[in-house]
Amino acid sequence: MDRHLLPEEIDQLLDGEVGFGTAPLKAHVRACPNCSAELESARVLVRELEHLPHFTPSLDFANQVMAQVHVFVPWHVALLDMVRAWAPRSRAGRTMAWAWAGSIALVFSVAAVFVLTQMDTIIFAAGIGLERVRELGMGALADVTTLVFGNTAAHAVTQAGSAGAALALVILLVAAALAARGLHAVVALPRRR
Amino acid sequence: MPLDLPNLPDADVAALARQGRESAYRELVRRYERPVFSLIYRMVHDRETAEDLAQDTFIKVLNHIDRYLPEFKFSSWLFKIANNVTIDFLRKRQLKTVSIEGSPHATTRADAEATSFDVRSMDESPLEEIESRELGSAIERAIAGLRPEYRACILLRHVEGRSYEEIAATLDLPLGTVKTYIHRARHALRDSLGHLRE
Repeated sequence: MDRHLLPEEIDQLLDGEVGFGTAPLKAHVRACPNCSAELESARVLVRELEHLPHFTPSLDFANQVMAQVHVFVPWHVALLDMVRAWAPRSRAGRTMAWAWAGSIALVFSVAAVFVLTQMDTIIFAAGIGLERVRELGMGALADVTTLVFGNTAAHAVTQAGSAGAALALVILLVAAALAARGLHAVVALPRRR
Repeated sequence: MPLDLPNLPDADVAALARQGRESAYRELVRRYERPVFSLIYRMVHDRETAEDLAQDTFIKVLNHIDRYLPEFKFSSWLFKIANNVTIDFLRKRQLKTVSIEGSPHATTRADAEATSFDVRSMDESPLEEIESRELGSAIERAIAGLRPEYRACILLRHVEGRSYEEIAATLDLPLGTVKTYIHRARHALRDSLGHLRE
């Protein structure tokens, strides 16, 4: 190479580029004191730039930022975090927690298996319970109907069975709603004047 | 077991932040508050303004963390927002970059004096004194004299250690332009600092 390095070529060496193109440049730098000094001066500058410090913002910077950031925590993340917070830190503590959770799971499993083996009995008992609840409900409805509409209506509801009871309940609710609306209108009347 | 946030890569921390973990947000702020603040401070030369702009940057980034694409570097996205916020500010305020000795466009001595600024004046407030000390070294003053686009490129390249490709992506500039800017910035800095070495 019979000339000094171009600025771009100095940059190539400075950036540590490799390849066939840079071999003659490096050879020239070794032989030419001018270009060698030029490259060294550029390297010194880069070293100085790379050693520039980072500045530190105020101590409260992160809090000020976070005060204006809207963090939405989904329920499953919150739950997982809560579990993590409660989980013991020590290995022994974690082992104890696992053993405790395992025991509880075992008890529940045994209970579930027992319930499954007694399914017929449970269904029978549940049926009796439901029938008793239905009878109580019908009785209460008949009492209310007797109180509001008299014996004849109560007798009709009892004769009509569940469908009649449901119809009577709907009529009762509609009548109550209309009465409430009427009362509200009467109360609001003086205010409008 | 608590999350080991300090040892997780940026993309994982950003993913945790997207899941709504406040500790992950704080970790991202902790990692980048100094680099982002330093970049902006060196661009605007005012500590209070730099802090406001750095806060704006983090608030924008963290409030839109769901828009972060994990295939890109988190830091590149963050620096991109920081640069945009700073450039917007500089444009709005028309805070023209002037060298310590005055505008390069000044044709007379009076013009040069009118556009120059003292690094350390007698009636500085304590905050201004800190700024003068921080930005007062020869190399900081030389960087301050660069055009904003050169300054952003040279700071990202040599202070933040970013590759040319990352800088091009961060500043939305063609790769060739980034190389040119960095070359010119280095040249200008060597010119500015030449007298110190002689």
